[in-house]
Amino acid sequence: MTTLARVASPAFPYLLLPSLWSSRNRARRREQGDLTRALLFGAIALLVAGAIFWGAYWVTGQLADYAELGDYLIRLGLSWLFLTFLSFLAFSSIVTSLSTFFLSDDLRLLLAAPVASRRLFHARFARTVGHASWMVVVFITPILAGVGVARGAPPSFYLTGLLTIVPFVMIPVALGSMITLGLVNVFPARRARDILMLMGLVFATSIVLLLRFIQPERLLRVESMPEVTDFFATLQSPITPMLPSFWAGETLFASLQGGWDPVHASALWTTALAMVAVAASLFDRWHFAGFSKAQEARKARFVQWRLLDRTVALLPLSTVRRQLLVKDLKVFLRDVSQWSQLLLLLALVLVYLYNFRVLDLERIPSMSGFLKNVYAFLNLGMAGFVMATVAVRFVFPMVSAEGAAFWIIRSAPISLRDFLWSKFWTGLVPVLLLSECLTVAGNQLLGVDPFLQRVAAIAIVFMSFALVGLATGLGARYPRFAADNPSQVAGSYGGVAFMILAVLFVLVTIVLVGWPSSVYLLQQFRRTPLTAARQALMVGSFAVAALVSVATFWFGMRTGVQALEEMDRTPS
Amino acid sequence: MIAVADLVKRYGGFTAVDGVSLDVQPGQIHGFLGPNGAGKTTTIRMIAGLLKPTSGRIAVNGHDLATAPEAAKASLGFIPDRPFIYEKLTAGEFLRFHGGLYGIEEAATGERIREMLDLFELARWRDELVESFSHGMKQRLVMAGAFLHRPRAVLVDEPMVGLDPRGARLIKDVFRKMADRGVAILMSTHTLEVAEEMCDLVSIILKGRIIASGTVDDLRRLAGAADEQLTPLFLRLTGGSGLQEIDEVL
Repeated sequence: MTTLARVASPAFPYLLLPSLWSSRNRARRREQGDLTRALLFGAIALLVAGAIFWGAYWVTGQLADYAELGDYLIRLGLSWLFLTFLSFLAFSSIVTSLSTFFLSDDLRLLLAAPVASRRLFHARFARTVGHASWMVVVFITPILAGVGVARGAPPSFYLTGLLTIVPFVMIPVALGSMITLGLVNVFPARRARDILMLMGLVFATSIVLLLRFIQPERLLRVESMPEVTDFFATLQSPITPMLPSFWAGETLFASLQGGWDPVHASALWTTALAMVAVAASLFDRWHFAGFSKAQEARKARFVQWRLLDRTVALLPLSTVRRQLLVKDLKVFLRDVSQWSQLLLLLALVLVYLYNFRVLDLERIPSMSGFLKNVYAFLNLGMAGFVMATVAVRFVFPMVSAEGAAFWIIRSAPISLRDFLWSKFWTGLVPVLLLSECLTVAGNQLLGVDPFLQRVAAIAIVFMSFALVGLATGLGARYPRFAADNPSQVAGSYGGVAFMILAVLFVLVTIVLVGWPSSVYLLQQFRRTPLTAARQALMVGSFAVAALVSVATFWFGMRTGVQALEEMDRTPS
Repeated sequence: MIAVADLVKRYGGFTAVDGVSLDVQPGQIHGFLGPNGAGKTTTIRMIAGLLKPTSGRIAVNGHDLATAPEAAKASLGFIPDRPFIYEKLTAGEFLRFHGGLYGIEEAATGERIREMLDLFELARWRDELVESFSHGMKQRLVMAGAFLHRPRAVLVDEPMVGLDPRGARLIKDVFRKMADRGVAILMSTHTLEVAEEMCDLVSIILKGRIIASGTVDDLRRLAGAADEQLTPLFLRLTGGSGLQEIDEVL
């Protein structure tokens, strides 16, 4: 009896120990390349945090010149900053709650143990707060520090910052937990996650499209001053003072001026505590029913994609490659978390092309011809960066996507070279089509010189091979077979290394292709013939650009095949 | 059919497999026994080509796994202890994909897939996603894949984990019939009844080394216990049962 009493008595932080110990053990584990990884990520994190701090510091400093209007804008800015984070937290807390409250593997252990429901709730709630809000905290800290330093805020401002952020993140997480509780009791947990991911992406896509199509650049024109005042008027919506983001902004603004706003601070804390209490009582009532439902296997609904089978059967591929391709495509198309990302990509492509359509270069008639051709290179560079982004999100994780099922490939009589090449072709075709369409359509909309159009179209072919080869190879060199989703793989050390190399490659290519093209354009402009030496140099520059692409492609695929062949352990 | 000579696997300073040699003949079921952490799975995974040996030689159907891995793997079927497969494929698609990896033309796969699904009692689940399968069903699907390409040798790591009595009986019958048709089977297990019932030869591994090998009768003679079941024999050979200590603790 005494033993049982001892087990049941620890408070809820005891249930957080496995997470803490796991983090500690991960931090203690030393593996080859850890130092390089830590230095690389540390440097990037410092750079980003420094840039955010500097941005906040600079903007606050500039606004200080406008006295009362400056203060008003800082106050408004803080409120809108918190509103942005509030919407992010509201969505991420629902997705995180699904995982922490219903889908985590350790829940079976905890629910089978004599743990009081309320303790389990508090432990899981604390974990959800941590998972859902760490990114917000990481971003908001340098912003508040920048604002505070620029305004010479007292130390109490930073303490108020801490005391504001804690209840501010608790409110959406408590709300998210309650929504999740309701959703899981209506839908199966895994289906609910898919629905939420899709809803989130549709939401993000709509925001991107909306922001672009309302044409914010109109606000920069002198004749549109009335629109600017309208714009500020919309920021003062009657619902804003009812939101925690407004209370957080007000509390911090008062503190920034050396004062104290007990009304809004109290509103934050009492709402947070009340919401947690309500969520806890709902958890007591509905969690077990929802968890139980989440365990029940439902007959999954899915698309057979028989047309895909028939189409791929027509391709001139070996049996092995055909089956690898069919498998990769079906796994991709049946996983909502993977294909739904295409929605966002589609929105970005639309915005990209729309930008070229509305570009008003005729406003400067004397320069329009020259500017169009400069934009052609901008278009090429942008297509390169789009390619790199698409490659890191869709091509780089392709080897990792085999996951624990990689034993099937490793124990099969196929060479790992064939396997990697199959991944390469699967990635190349869509990337090449997308970037070629972007470049050709963009240049057509601009009315760029035909010579430049041809150069850009050929450059894109080379760049696609290089970037897809590099992404495939580095994806095999730095796989993350245990990752939950492809985004985790893209954000890993290998993904960041790929992005750095890809950006360098795009810049070098633009320079090598841009120089001879600009020489050609200048000669066209001056209507003078090109000398033989100039022509030789131009051809040389194009050739070096092609060589750089081939070398990047070759390096990527070679390192990937080598890494797979040297791989000591296979996940299973 | 499966020839392993002086196989060694080291992880840093720890030697998981230390000079293991095995020879599994066609038509033979060879049981690979040992306590947890003895090196059974590591050995099996090296033979399957999933782990790189530190040293030693592995040959399947006369093909060296190091120099001709594809030829060696083409003769081999592998059944891991945990059946991780592509969750977003149906059972039929998984088997078609598996057949493709072994170079079986699609026209020839259809009938064979149907046979395998019937044999492993999965026919009615052919068009269902693997993610909706139970552990036992996934295990049977992996076995269907392993036998799909008519392998000459089969590696099985803990075959009975997660199977119900009917599934276990089915698997035992399938393995016996495959062996009767000349397939060499190397099977790791710590279910001693399974080894006793099914295996023609047994090797016992402890701390990475094979400490005894032969028929069950050979092992009885070795341990000087003529009538003993395999369980007490195994406990004696691998370092005692610890029953005394259990009594004290309880």
